[in-house]
Amino acid sequence: MTEPAIRVIDVTKIFPTPFRRRRVVALQDLNLEIAPGEIYGLLGPNGSGKSTTLKIILGLIGPTRGSVRIFGRDNSAVAVRRDIGFLPENAYFHKFLTGAETLRFHAKLSGLSGRETKSRVAELLATVGLARAADARLGTYSKGMLQRIGLAQALIHHPKILVLDEPTAAVDPAGSRDIQNLILSLKKRGTTILLSSHLLTQVQEVCDRVGILHRGKLLREGHLEDLLAIENQTELIVENATPDLLDGLEREIAAGKARVIARRKPQTSLEQLFLKVTETGDE
Amino acid sequence: MNSSLGRIGAIARTTFIELARLRVFYVLVLFALVLIISSSFLARISFQQELQVTKDIALGAINFFLSMLAIVATAQLLPRDLEDHVIYSVLAKPVRRFEYMLGKFFGVLGLLVISLVAMSILCLAVIHLREGAAVRETMQQLAQSPSEELDHALVGVHQAGANRDLVLALLLILTKAAVLVSLTLCISSFATSNIFTISAMAMVYLVGHLESIARDYWLHQRAAGWLVRAFLAAVVFFFPDLQAFNLSDQIVAGSSLSNLMLLKLLGLGVIYIVGYLVIAIAIFSQREL
Repeated sequence: MTEPAIRVIDVTKIFPTPFRRRRVVALQDLNLEIAPGEIYGLLGPNGSGKSTTLKIILGLIGPTRGSVRIFGRDNSAVAVRRDIGFLPENAYFHKFLTGAETLRFHAKLSGLSGRETKSRVAELLATVGLARAADARLGTYSKGMLQRIGLAQALIHHPKILVLDEPTAAVDPAGSRDIQNLILSLKKRGTTILLSSHLLTQVQEVCDRVGILHRGKLLREGHLEDLLAIENQTELIVENATPDLLDGLEREIAAGKARVIARRKPQTSLEQLFLKVTETGDE
Repeated sequence: MNSSLGRIGAIARTTFIELARLRVFYVLVLFALVLIISSSFLARISFQQELQVTKDIALGAINFFLSMLAIVATAQLLPRDLEDHVIYSVLAKPVRRFEYMLGKFFGVLGLLVISLVAMSILCLAVIHLREGAAVRETMQQLAQSPSEELDHALVGVHQAGANRDLVLALLLILTKAAVLVSLTLCISSFATSNIFTISAMAMVYLVGHLESIARDYWLHQRAAGWLVRAFLAAVVFFFPDLQAFNLSDQIVAGSSLSNLMLLKLLGLGVIYIVGYLVIAIAIFSQREL
């Protein structure tokens, strides 16, 4: 059996407040399994525990209880991070460095050789469409450009897992589409991607599975098609059916104590599901 | 090991570039340069005194500006990286937290060395020029005097000019600044803002220059019990004895610094630096980001 790329086991995170008068439970008994090559979307309103989950997976903060395994290895080992690339939310990076210097810096941190660094930096600058802005300081970059250089630094060392915190936040629609296409092309190359986002339509377009977090609890999780389907309704897609055939089908359905609601697929949107789940707190 | 040094080097280099590209660095150096130059126009009492005053002002200015640069430059590093979320992308790479802290330390140290070298070159140049002028004027004034008197006067001028002790004083100023960098990093490792760090370091700077007076009073003029001695030891640990590195007055006055004394002071500096860095790394390793 293949080891999951990311496995979060019974993770609880409690933040003590000053003077320990009360405590904030950021995550409660969280369990996640993300298979190699999968794109997993973590959804949730502000304060639901998405960023805390990502930080715990990356080892930036430790869980109060539970553990995280990356390809079967405990995530507290620094070597595990060779397999992970991370794009933080609203990252500004070093404003005084140029785009190329930023990538060279992260390549050095990732242990790339000088020769490898040179070719990788040029390749990634072209991939994210920043080759012409390579020598401009990040202080002059727009938010969309910063997000793209952030994506490039996350990919500099060919990670097997890519963790993206709000990857298309503040990016214009065209830039957002480019990032989506890049995510899909990485999936084709076998990269596992965990992303958190508020932009539900985009999540719906790229993710294989999603999990919905609310107040530190995973309320729903599953493949998109399963989550979005309406349980007591069935969609029958028929090709080349004549009106008589369809009328006959409807009569048969009525005879079987069922009811035809419409002749098109009734489906909720991911956004409606998200709002319904988080508003009711339904588990 | 090599890759660890490579990561420390990369962080140090980036830290150095960050600080070098900030305007505050140039302003501080400019101020120091102006002060050093202005010292050469002061105190026309005698050639020897003029040289001494020039040295005194130059060393004082370098000491002050290097110390301020050490504190101000270091205090902003961690809060800035946290604010810009840079720290997340760096520590998500295979970077250990001690490598991050050491990289920051060596980055600031590199800046201080270059600043000190720049200020020292100017300082030595000014003193050398004044010394040359003093030698020429002394020779003119004592042209009719006996040769012994002239030789004696020239020895006095050379002693007041640039010499080995002046270079050692500069080395000690750098050691003191490095101690301040390590202590500032230590406070930054748990502080939530650079204002807190700078305020705390201002207090440390003040206490660090005055504590030797209090210590001398308690230990030599009063019979100190174990409690007082323990308290004084704690003060010396938390507030480094900065005055110990300040030998400018002695050197300007013509006293020579022995090799043993120099080694003791450098050893004290290294103990402070290593101690504060170990604490800084221990705290930062536990910090939740």
